Amino acid sequence: MSRKVTKVVVVGRDAAAWLSALALQRAFGRTGVEVRVVELPSLLGPSDVYAAVPSLGALHGLLGLAEHEVLEATSGVPVLGQRFADWSRDLPSYIHGYDTQLVAIDDIEFVHFWVKARAEGLKVALDDFSLAAAAAKHGRSVIERDGRSTEMPVAPGYHLDARTYVALVRQRALRAGTKSVGSGTVVVRREGDRILSVTLDDGQSIEGDLFIDASGVEALLIGGASGAAFQAWRDDFPADRILVASAPALKPLPGFSQITAFAAGWTGLYPLKDRTAVVAVYDSGAMSDQQVLDGLPQITGFPLRGEATVAPLAPGMRPAWVGNCVAIGDAAVVLEPLDAVQLHLIHMGLTQLIALFPVDAEAMPEAEVCNVGFAAHVRNVRDFQISHYRLNRRPGEPFWDRARTTPAPDSLQTRFNMFSARGKVVLFDDESFQDQNWTALFIGHGLIPRSYDPMVDAVPAEQQMGRFRGLLGKIAEEVRAMPQVEAEFGVSAAPAFRP
Amino acid sequence: MNRPLEVVIVGGGTAGWMTAAGLVGVLKPDQCRVRLIESDEIGAVGVGEATLPQMRDFNDLIGIVESDMMRKTNATFKLGIEFRHWGFEGSSYVHPFGVHGKAMGGVAFHHQWTRARLNGVPSDIEDYSYAIIASRRNRFDFPVKDPAAINSTYNYAYHFDAGLYAKYLRGWCETRGLRRTEGKVRNVTLNPVSGDVASIAMESGETITGDLFIDCSGFRGLIIGQAMDVGFEDWTRWLPCDRALAVPTTRSDDFTPYTRSTAREAGWQWRIPLQHRTGNGYVYSSAFISDDEAAATLMANLDGEPLADPKPIRFRSGRRTASWTGNCIAIGLASGFLEPLESTSIYLTQVAIMNLLKLFPRPKIDPALAVEFNRIVDNEYDRVRDFLILHYHANTRTDSDLWRHCREMEIPDTLREKMALFEHRGHIAQYKDGLFSPPSWLSVFLGQGITPAGYHPMADNLPLDVVTSEMAAMRERVSSRVDAMPAHDAFVRDYCAGAQPLRAAGAVA
Repeated sequence: MSRKVTKVVVVGRDAAAWLSALALQRAFGRTGVEVRVVELPSLLGPSDVYAAVPSLGALHGLLGLAEHEVLEATSGVPVLGQRFADWSRDLPSYIHGYDTQLVAIDDIEFVHFWVKARAEGLKVALDDFSLAAAAAKHGRSVIERDGRSTEMPVAPGYHLDARTYVALVRQRALRAGTKSVGSGTVVVRREGDRILSVTLDDGQSIEGDLFIDASGVEALLIGGASGAAFQAWRDDFPADRILVASAPALKPLPGFSQITAFAAGWTGLYPLKDRTAVVAVYDSGAMSDQQVLDGLPQITGFPLRGEATVAPLAPGMRPAWVGNCVAIGDAAVVLEPLDAVQLHLIHMGLTQLIALFPVDAEAMPEAEVCNVGFAAHVRNVRDFQISHYRLNRRPGEPFWDRARTTPAPDSLQTRFNMFSARGKVVLFDDESFQDQNWTALFIGHGLIPRSYDPMVDAVPAEQQMGRFRGLLGKIAEEVRAMPQVEAEFGVSAAPAFRP
Repeated sequence: MNRPLEVVIVGGGTAGWMTAAGLVGVLKPDQCRVRLIESDEIGAVGVGEATLPQMRDFNDLIGIVESDMMRKTNATFKLGIEFRHWGFEGSSYVHPFGVHGKAMGGVAFHHQWTRARLNGVPSDIEDYSYAIIASRRNRFDFPVKDPAAINSTYNYAYHFDAGLYAKYLRGWCETRGLRRTEGKVRNVTLNPVSGDVASIAMESGETITGDLFIDCSGFRGLIIGQAMDVGFEDWTRWLPCDRALAVPTTRSDDFTPYTRSTAREAGWQWRIPLQHRTGNGYVYSSAFISDDEAAATLMANLDGEPLADPKPIRFRSGRRTASWTGNCIAIGLASGFLEPLESTSIYLTQVAIMNLLKLFPRPKIDPALAVEFNRIVDNEYDRVRDFLILHYHANTRTDSDLWRHCREMEIPDTLREKMALFEHRGHIAQYKDGLFSPPSWLSVFLGQGITPAGYHPMADNLPLDVVTSEMAAMRERVSSRVDAMPAHDAFVRDYCAGAQPLRAAGAVA
């Protein structure tokens, strides 16, 4: 006979643990599910940052977190895109803008018109036709400090100070009824593929129906399960180190993250209200930690401030759900922080778990389909990240030559082939990034389609030029009407009005 | 400027003329020149045909006026398909073009419905579907746009005479300059190096060359199969029916706005109401019944006077391993066959055409285009296949070997997992591409007798009495609004009576 899941035990730390706790508490707390967190020591330092794609806004909606509260509590800054610089020797930088819609004319994706016009001599870059990219370039925001937003086909991504973000989510989870206890580590007691309990440092044993492993790369719970081996993607990802530091705040605040390639990897600049978070991801075989640290001021153009921390980075994944244990965050999947997907992967895991939250504490056939769906999501995000590496145009540097020539996974090669042939983005099931994102990525890195949708030819050339001018004019006008990030979120910005 | 691509369509059935209309209607004369070869001697399969709502997108794309098309093809409206005796003898359910109820408490309606049932408040899931209740009462009207209105929660398609539809499209194409060549193909010549089609020799002695050849020759696959020998993936082990008998009857008084599919000893019988007559047929497996017995069964189960002798059709379920190979693209029955249980034939043709338009090769044929075309077409076929197998597999009939065989056969893993999770907790996964969204799966799962043992735990966030009273209100809204709809026969009569099209037909481009 089936028995309802009533005891959920989250073992972990930082965003993965507290987002899980709050999400499950809010979804199932009122139905009689008790959520307990065994909190492990935080791994976050003062320089850590969460950069997030716009989907985080949807998670916050689910969690009852208002945008402006989050931004205020975390010295956060909303951004409308990521600027990729120096990934090519011969192409200018580009912005991957957070447009929520595909720009289309007569239901045909705009990129097809652009490809045709480009072949006929057009010099305007594709991202100039992206409202989000244009707004990002001009330091504009779609939301104001009090959370008000204008109706525009763009959505904000986020830069959030990691420690204060976790503190906020933690506080909300506790307030919502989650119980918490701290422990340095746990000892797991299993029976078959099921976890019966975890024992804390003080000897206390906590039983549960469902265990969430949010312990990070340690994978304290799921790591010991059979059939949950970690599959490393060392060949797909050429970098193996991550360095985190801080630089002074930028003034005025820009509307984007800056992602710059250098000889041994890439660096990200994530402006916050009171500092700029700096991340470097690189291959330790190409450059030592010290060399990277010494080189950062020159690569980024900013002096570093405070302490820098370095950690190993080993992308890969494992089955996220085994028995009665579900891994969320780094315990399930490690990817680079490229494309601001760190929190998104936690979000994806939680979405799957909530959609398939087990109905029976004794048997969880949901695991299989959940794992398939989650793995599909992860593979698609992985393809997106790897695209940057494969499409680099920095010949003559060993790190980048290797990144460019390593064979792409089949799914990614299919996308490359089809986009090159016809400007069509191949989307599989369970995609995080949509048409407009892939298009910005591919065109930005110089993958220019050989042909375009034949229906484009139905539009006479002069009419097409008129439409282009109209689009650019409309974008310029809309950008001018948007508030400035600095005015709304800078240090000198007036505090949000509170009734 | 490149010269236009010379396209040769071989075969003039529904698939051939739809492809021609798509190309002529959407592309410009300097992009492609289309020539269609057909023989009046070779009959198209052309039985009364049921369609899916997606067909309206196709008609809109090329600018067809609905009332005009319906009048000229003897069309009627379709809100879904009734399945009789499928899961078990005596059963009847409708797979509607529409949803059941609406989400409550953040979970799909059927979770709350299951919860109510498990708590002693059972109800008939059909009472929450506007399309089903309208079907059961033989009503029809167009859906409204306002998403808050209960009569916006459905969609519709047509029953029509597919032969007349092809003829309709032929007239449409010919007024737009399409060149039609009457005659039979004698021989197809391949390029010995590339394996591409070089030319087609006609019995008239003419040799026809082209850049791109579309094989719409039907089951036999004149180019893709006979000449190029492209493989065929056989699905008979899951879909054992391989023959059909079709017979028209006089119009019935029971003028249903839905197709009826009745399970029989060795297959199933279709019933498709048209304006002037009713199309009927028995799809059966020759391994389980003789042709004579099948004919006798069909003729004994008609609700009108037969207007002809039963016409035999033979087929094999499956699809080509590569519908687009070299410079040949198979569309329609030449690319694959799935029995008309869910009216998917014209839909699959339409998918091929829409993708051909998007991937139309210029200036020469880029192999990456074929890879993508086949990926999309294969995915569509495979997902429809699983859905059809579900109808056969999930049964508790004890009356014949066919049903026993289908119940006990191995089914694709994708389907097995889907069934298990629905049974466990009513979960239905949504896929990105491919026909049949969760409401379709729901109606067939439940209709075939699979009842979920559990429901989404979030359903419990709403008090049960709030849910059950909202459910009662939904039933009432559906029922009373359906009663205000016109009868299907009166609606069709009025709508198709006008002498002139409401607006001029013309391509969008």
